[in-house]
Amino acid sequence: MTKLIKALAAGIGSFAVLYKLLLGGLGEQGASVVAYLAALPAFLLLVGGWDALRSYAAGHEPEELHGAARYFGYNVDHKAVGVQYIAAALLVFVVSGTWALVMRLELSHHGIQFLTPELYTTMMTLHGIGMVVVALIATAGGIGNFIVPLQVGARDMAFPRLNALSFWLLPPAVLLLLATPLMGGLDFGWTAYASLSTQGSTPGKQLFLLAFVTVGFSSIFSGVNFVATTLAMRAKGLTWGRIPVFTWSILATAIIQLLGTSVVAASLIMVLFDRMLHTTFFDPNLGGTVLLYQHLFWFYSHPAVYIMILPAFGAILEILPVFCRKPLFGYRLSAGAFIAIVVLSFVVWAHHMFTSGMWAVLKLPFMVNTELISIPTGVVFLAALGTLWRSKIRMDAPMVWALAMILNFLIGGLTGIPLADAPTDLHMHDTWFVVAHFHFTIMGGAVFGFFAAFTYWYPKITGRKLNEALSKTQAFLMFTGFNGTFIPMFWLGTLGMRRHVVDFPEWMDPVQLFISCAAVLIASSAALFLYNVLSSLKKGEEAGRNPWEALTLEWTAPSPPPHGNFERAPVVTAGPYEFGV
Amino acid sequence: MKNKSVIPFVAATASLISGGLYWLFTRYPMMPEAASAQAAHVDLAWNGLLIVECLIYAVIVAFILYCVLAFRDYTRAEQGDKFDASRGHLVEAAWLLGSVALTLALAALGSQELRALIGNPEADIDVEVRAQQYSWEFYYPKQKAFGAKLFMEKGKRHRLILTSQDVVHAFWVPEFRIKQDVVPGKVISMIVTPTKVGEYTLLCNQLCGRGHTEMQGIVEVVEHEAFEENFKAGDF
Repeated sequence: MTKLIKALAAGIGSFAVLYKLLLGGLGEQGASVVAYLAALPAFLLLVGGWDALRSYAAGHEPEELHGAARYFGYNVDHKAVGVQYIAAALLVFVVSGTWALVMRLELSHHGIQFLTPELYTTMMTLHGIGMVVVALIATAGGIGNFIVPLQVGARDMAFPRLNALSFWLLPPAVLLLLATPLMGGLDFGWTAYASLSTQGSTPGKQLFLLAFVTVGFSSIFSGVNFVATTLAMRAKGLTWGRIPVFTWSILATAIIQLLGTSVVAASLIMVLFDRMLHTTFFDPNLGGTVLLYQHLFWFYSHPAVYIMILPAFGAILEILPVFCRKPLFGYRLSAGAFIAIVVLSFVVWAHHMFTSGMWAVLKLPFMVNTELISIPTGVVFLAALGTLWRSKIRMDAPMVWALAMILNFLIGGLTGIPLADAPTDLHMHDTWFVVAHFHFTIMGGAVFGFFAAFTYWYPKITGRKLNEALSKTQAFLMFTGFNGTFIPMFWLGTLGMRRHVVDFPEWMDPVQLFISCAAVLIASSAALFLYNVLSSLKKGEEAGRNPWEALTLEWTAPSPPPHGNFERAPVVTAGPYEFGV
Repeated sequence: MKNKSVIPFVAATASLISGGLYWLFTRYPMMPEAASAQAAHVDLAWNGLLIVECLIYAVIVAFILYCVLAFRDYTRAEQGDKFDASRGHLVEAAWLLGSVALTLALAALGSQELRALIGNPEADIDVEVRAQQYSWEFYYPKQKAFGAKLFMEKGKRHRLILTSQDVVHAFWVPEFRIKQDVVPGKVISMIVTPTKVGEYTLLCNQLCGRGHTEMQGIVEVVEHEAFEENFKAGDF
């Protein structure tokens, strides 16, 4: 803990001092970038990177941390990293959710209430990018880190030191984002389209780009690690046909992280260069093209939504067989569907650009490709429905969450089709219809999927179960609040409510007020969740090794698993879902 | 409930749900008034999708409801009967074929309307639409006149020639159902044929900075005589 505080102090201190020193010579733009490039490694080395390097150079095993340092230090144990990711995701979720509530307060009535348009846009951008980070890391980073090595029967991830690094890159990025309102704010939304993002000289924009790139590096490192772990660290007997479906989904996710993230990092660095070094990648007056940014950005940022949703698919399909007490329907087909989604996700990006003015001939192939993704996504539904059929359902909390996720994502998926369809997208693009659609997929799908996964694996992580009644109440509250918030937005969007605006026509008032009230339900559900998580740590029912009577490897280890996970190296002799066969 | 009751249950529940959705979408239509020839194509595509999607939604929700009601196991006993997976592959194949066919049908409908929308580039009236942070300006090259609002003649094909001085904006009139980004460094043309006399709001639909919310304009659609009359005095 003291180490973390020292490292943070050194990082923030060196950033502040360097920024002041360089301000005269380099200006605000250059000073902020150079100061960050120096402060980031200082922080990483001090927080524990130096010790990790030293133990590596000396050929030692990395040090095992105890006490507060276990969670506040540079811990290489995948279970600690998983908990760190989950805690960080929940923290950012609460902060970004607070921005959303403030926005809802502003939007309860037409006209401007208490926010300036500047503040509103900054808050909206921070809500967007914050929740993107949450959706990227909560299930894949948090649950994935904790569970995947256990599910494949490994002692740890393939590259434990790198794993700790992927986590510790996140706090600096979050700090940068929180600093942006103090350094001029943000006016471009989380997509940071050129040439709005290359305009203006406030250093806040610079920090946003740096934060985004930092998260990108974290994501790439974590992708490498998951691919290597699933390929090389599997227990004896864990053949391709026996890998649990959650691990399949994380493998698919990791492939996207590896292949896509570098492209968005490149595009943001190009914006950085345009701003700071006066290159002209995106300046049409000097030979650049504005649309290039959008192509590069969406080449990653569309696959990124699959980074968010695939782990949720995996978690849901992992949960269903256990609580249906029967084998997962279409196991092989589902694994194939994940891989198909990975491949297709890279050839659909321009459906974000139907109205962008790109070459019109491109609209047709991108429209058809995008609609093709509904086929593997449909397979996930087939697996879910087929598993429910003639099952013996135990309606425990994880199952309730899983069903809620399926119902939400059904709406999320179906409302994606009019956006993939070029003619209807001409009307709906950049309206609240889109806002409602992606909240139905990312919140209704990915976040509900995270809650399902968290409720399911909480006993493995802590040794105790969450309070069932509270968890079900919370699921009901959040499902109601969520649907109440976002279903009306479909109507407002098609009727003329644009994205990114702080004001709207008067006739929308009653609907907007209703939405704000429903949003309060979401917040109260989140509060209930945090209470449940903390109180069940001490008071929850003791879970034992296998409270849900599941068959995958993680349930054979003690709860919580000790350092090294398994007493003996596990050997797998059967498939993961052979209930009742 | 026995497994045999699934078809009547799902049929009845799905009819109820889709009936409810039909009521919802006719009582509270999702689209604003249609005021352009292009809107007809968009609305046709949208209505087609809406019908198919509501049916899919109703059937899947009804099926889930059936499973949850019929297969709930309160005893939590480990079951004795074995699962017969022999027909699983048939179901998988049928589902795959069905979803491929449906996807291709939707794509075909979409591409047909898309072609109708892009289609013919010929126009009767040219208007240069110039966007900048945070206002719109209109210039009529044939009439050599600047306008403070977008003045259009009912029933004529207008070619809007869109340019931006600074950042990306977007041209959107919800009643026209048509949207086009206005991109710095590019000249983008778009055809609009207004079909109803009236006043509409032009909205900037791409976040363009602090004043984005206020970046709105007025569109006025008039009959032929009023249109000609308007240009007699030069700028308006």
